[in-house]
Amino acid sequence: MKSDVSPSAVQPRSASRRAFLRNIPVVTAAAASPFPTMAAARGKHQWAMLIDVRKCIGCQACTVSCIQENAVPEGSFRTVVSTYSVKLTDAAQPAGTYMLPRLCNHCDNPPCIPVCPVAATFKRDDGIVVVDGDRCVGCAYCVQACPYDARFINHDTNKADKCTFCAHRVDAGLLPACVETCVGGARIFGDINDAEGELARRLKAAQPQLKVLKPELDTAPRVFYIGLDERFAGKVEGQGTLWKPRAHHG
Amino acid sequence: MKIERREILAAGGLAAFAAGFSQTLGRMVDGFVAAEEPRIAEGRHIHGRSAAPEYTVDPVSGEFTPNPNQQVSYTACLGCTTLCGVRVRVDKTTGNIIRVGGNPYSPLSTDPHLPMKTSVKESLIAMSRFQDKGLAGRSTACGRGNAAMDQMNSPFRVLTPLKRVGPRNGGQWQPIPFEQLVKELVEGGDLFGEGHVDGLAALRDLNTPIDAQAPELGPRVNQVAVLSSVNDGREAFSRRFWNKAYGTLNHVGHGSYCGGAYRSGSGALFGDLKGMPHAKPDLENAEFVLFIGTAPGNAGNPFKITGAKLAKGRATGTLDYVVVDPVLNNSHNLASAEHGRWVPIRPGTDGALVMGMMRWMFEHDRVNTAYLAYPNQKAAEAGGEPSHTNASWLVIAQEGHPRQGRFLRGSDVGMAIADADRYKDADPYLVIGPDGQPVSAESVTEAVALQANGLQVLIADKAVLLKTAFELLRDSALAYELPEYSDVCGIPVEVISGLADEFTRHGRKASAVAHGGMMAGNGFYNAYAVVTLNALIGNLNWKGGFVINGGGFRDAGAGPRYDLDGFPGQIKPSGTPLGRNVPYERSAEFARRKAEGKPYPARDAWFPNAPGLGTEWFTGALRGYPYGLKALILWSCNPLYGITGIRPLIEKELADPKKLPLIVSVDPLINESNAFADYIVPDSLMYESWGWAAPWNGVPTKAGTARWPVVEPKAQKAADGQPVGMETFYIALAKAMNLPGFGPEGLADMDGKRLPLERPEDWYLRGGANIAFAGKAPVGDASDEDLTLSGVDRLRPALEATLKPDEWRKVAFVLTRGGRYQPVGEAQDADHPEWQTHRFSKPLWLWNDTVGTSRNTLTGKRFAGCAGWQPPAFFDGTPMRKVYTEDEWPLQLVSYKSALQNSYSIATRITGLHPDNPVVVHPADAAGLGLRTGDEARIQTPGGTARCTVIVHEGVTRGVMAVEHGYGHRELGARAHRIGGQSQPDRPDLRAGINLNDLGLADPTRGGEAVWVDAVSGTSVRQGLPARLLRA
Repeated sequence: MKSDVSPSAVQPRSASRRAFLRNIPVVTAAAASPFPTMAAARGKHQWAMLIDVRKCIGCQACTVSCIQENAVPEGSFRTVVSTYSVKLTDAAQPAGTYMLPRLCNHCDNPPCIPVCPVAATFKRDDGIVVVDGDRCVGCAYCVQACPYDARFINHDTNKADKCTFCAHRVDAGLLPACVETCVGGARIFGDINDAEGELARRLKAAQPQLKVLKPELDTAPRVFYIGLDERFAGKVEGQGTLWKPRAHHG
Repeated sequence: MKIERREILAAGGLAAFAAGFSQTLGRMVDGFVAAEEPRIAEGRHIHGRSAAPEYTVDPVSGEFTPNPNQQVSYTACLGCTTLCGVRVRVDKTTGNIIRVGGNPYSPLSTDPHLPMKTSVKESLIAMSRFQDKGLAGRSTACGRGNAAMDQMNSPFRVLTPLKRVGPRNGGQWQPIPFEQLVKELVEGGDLFGEGHVDGLAALRDLNTPIDAQAPELGPRVNQVAVLSSVNDGREAFSRRFWNKAYGTLNHVGHGSYCGGAYRSGSGALFGDLKGMPHAKPDLENAEFVLFIGTAPGNAGNPFKITGAKLAKGRATGTLDYVVVDPVLNNSHNLASAEHGRWVPIRPGTDGALVMGMMRWMFEHDRVNTAYLAYPNQKAAEAGGEPSHTNASWLVIAQEGHPRQGRFLRGSDVGMAIADADRYKDADPYLVIGPDGQPVSAESVTEAVALQANGLQVLIADKAVLLKTAFELLRDSALAYELPEYSDVCGIPVEVISGLADEFTRHGRKASAVAHGGMMAGNGFYNAYAVVTLNALIGNLNWKGGFVINGGGFRDAGAGPRYDLDGFPGQIKPSGTPLGRNVPYERSAEFARRKAEGKPYPARDAWFPNAPGLGTEWFTGALRGYPYGLKALILWSCNPLYGITGIRPLIEKELADPKKLPLIVSVDPLINESNAFADYIVPDSLMYESWGWAAPWNGVPTKAGTARWPVVEPKAQKAADGQPVGMETFYIALAKAMNLPGFGPEGLADMDGKRLPLERPEDWYLRGGANIAFAGKAPVGDASDEDLTLSGVDRLRPALEATLKPDEWRKVAFVLTRGGRYQPVGEAQDADHPEWQTHRFSKPLWLWNDTVGTSRNTLTGKRFAGCAGWQPPAFFDGTPMRKVYTEDEWPLQLVSYKSALQNSYSIATRITGLHPDNPVVVHPADAAGLGLRTGDEARIQTPGGTARCTVIVHEGVTRGVMAVEHGYGHRELGARAHRIGGQSQPDRPDLRAGINLNDLGLADPTRGGEAVWVDAVSGTSVRQGLPARLLRA
């Protein structure tokens, strides 16, 4: 996964003016709700994540805990929080910070699966998109195919690598590492099919505000956002980030 | 929905993890294990090198199954000064740390934290998916807290005692046995072939004065000085050795180059300039918070819990906040922009903003005068206020009166006060009584007049004008017009008045707080102004207002189980502290100059209103003012990296053993400072160390965090089998010098029975007993299951050998839970639910006469005694911009805390994530030079030049360049030292970026021989350094 850990300068298109403490452009309402349909035909569990961007403080606890949990090599990320310094032209303050946690979207219609020549990438019954390390030949077609830059070739294993929702923890009755350690409490993980569960209840409550990344691609992501600014839902225009995490220290 | 256990097994989950547990490295498969290792997850290998889970919890039944190869231990983090309670997951077969999370019992990591009675097993289940417990009970470690574990296996660790080879700072070392280290340090000798060096035994001269002509300096033992960093839970042990047993007065921390200006300003309001009490917004219940020069959720202490509560408050809409800072940071979040706003400000002008707000509040009747009119705590509480101020107290305001600026006291108006008590505590402060005449402030039972309105009293038959503290503060606020304040700080008048309006619209559920942004050339007064805002709305001790820390549980006190405080033969150090933070007027120099008819200027600056000052130590000691040092101990501190402007002033002299004969460091790493040491003694690191820590602030309930060696310390073992570390080093020094308070009879229980202090366990386990038994009732007993699951069973032999039978399971109870914590529900007072339980009951000092009557030692002029606007200045009061004009130095540099990096986390995974610190430049400032993001540039200040990369965006005040702290290292891996025949790894990437402190200024009004510090607080100036930007 590529990361924009650092502020990059971004120019917003429009913004509304508000009162003294409320004079900054806020996230516009979602046009259409991407609330997932139940996937009853498949496994009992359908794992998903909800990220409340308003609660993200950009501390990268998720990023680093994921690195430690999953032995992610330096320069690669299964998850990361892109952080932007956004120029505001019609607000009382000249700029604002925007944070966007990113990870594999575990799409219901994943573009990475059809391109795999050896059927290493597949979707589990519970919705988690994974890579079979034994089959993977490291051709990186899936890395190219992912519209979210969520995949990379792990240079320690030479296999395609990405977020698994910490399937090894989920299967053990635990939470993904990033969720366990999210300082702002922005990441909620659970089973869409468990109507009484925290995730389903929160998804339901937040339905008018729910968004996904790049909805126009119809990938049907299983990572949902509250507070996702449409300017960041797709490719972010603006100057390239400066503090690129390095590929590998010499 | 119901899931049968069988179904999960069918999915491969539990079966697979059973396989995972059998592996030795704590990782799943691939690369670590043989090919025949059982496959997982539907027979397919999908988990890469992910770690085997530490335990499993059946999501239906909640059944808990530990992973026998791993241990989850609750201890403390040292990734920053917050010292959060964390859970450390250890691979038992290798001793390696797999990952770190939060401790669910700790209020620094969890909101709300678990009750102590929860068993360790239940606490682990509480973080699982079972019933979604892990979401509600989430216990976290931050990015740095997750990365800090990398230091445990760092190739840059010092693991054996080192002795320098060749000159100081030469980067070459020889490992020496611990016993040789102790012998050489105690006995001295020709240790380096450079001539004789006095050992610590000879330097422990408790009788001979440093200077017979200046006996107030104290005995020569004061020429051995100890600089530490932060109280990580071990400072009491170090102080026991250096202050109480060895006998030196000089043992200070890093506050004067951290956020000391804020603490000093707060100390002025809270009436204690040495202890510097401070308060924090009650983010849990606040409606509006004004953060000035501090970045909640971006950095600061307590970092996580502040960030978590800020996030919760803005997302749920209960909290609005404004961050005033020259730099935009992660405290702002556009996704909840309707609840948080960034207001850019010019560096070092916070006082102008705040005094402008105060002016507006005075002029619009928005000051809570009803609250301010209570002159003592009893009257305040009777009137429904949980705190009080000295706003109504009378101050002598007669121009030229010898006691001008002092409070009027009972003895001044003829009350019967014994001569010995005059102007001391027994001599009452006075307020205006019902008859218009002064009465004792303590004696009244209700509100009194806030204004003296020109009242005069006769003192020694002379009419003397009086003013109240309230009037003096108002005068100060009215000294400038709102547009003038606006011109100074660059914040429009309507924003200043808007802030004042908003701040005063929430009753007591608003507060204002500051921190590192106060480290400017007027930091003390800026900080005093910010905290005084709180007094004007009366929010102290209110739920949702400005609240004080719940405090810790004391380990090193006199009981209740062991006396870790005093001991026979204890020394009471005396003399003048090296930082000259005492009145110059009590020195022999003053007496001499006064006799010569010119008491001012002194030779240099003194700081009577400051705490111990590391900022002044190096330049003071190396120039012999007030005296030189014979030995300097650097314990886990890095002043050469941290003190703005110090390096160019001292690096040559510090390398010269003739100027400072002995430098000893106790540290697990080689940093920019101890690279100059003669000896480095390895210290324990992170999760292998002991300590009883307490939250610094921001936790309204009582809390004590236990740090204990959850893994075996890596440092070399001494001949007696104990790993070398700070404690074993000092115990060995004490033994070699036969010092009191250590050795076979070093300690005592409360029956006076002498007990040994020969191992760290002797100290920390007994300190644990004091904590476990503190208060009305002791904690419970740890079960065998608690011991096993937490890894505390490794300490069981020591627990049983060191403690009494009724104690050890209680200390184990505290260790298994990583500390002792008051229940979250007790934050507010049961009888007064809108008041905090832990309250500050002494007055808030709107006027501080200690400050207001002390004099600048270079000019003899008195300092102001209340909040007020004054521009950043050098010590003698010359404004910085008078010396370094805007024409010549058009920009200003500020430092800001990184959301990720700290000053010592450089060789961790954080650096891969965020390898560099490009300087933030405003587009308007960059445009003139044609600089664009990513370009190389040069920064010049009067103190130095540095090459940097720039990042150009609007997230900085125009005219300001912002430097993120934690980069520009020369050590900590940035230079490969040679130890014995071995060279450390070469990591040029760790040198990336710049350190603003290398560009700091010397004070031209102090002969350019000292660093620029705030004249009252003595704290280093890193905000608002005059600068220019040039093309590379």
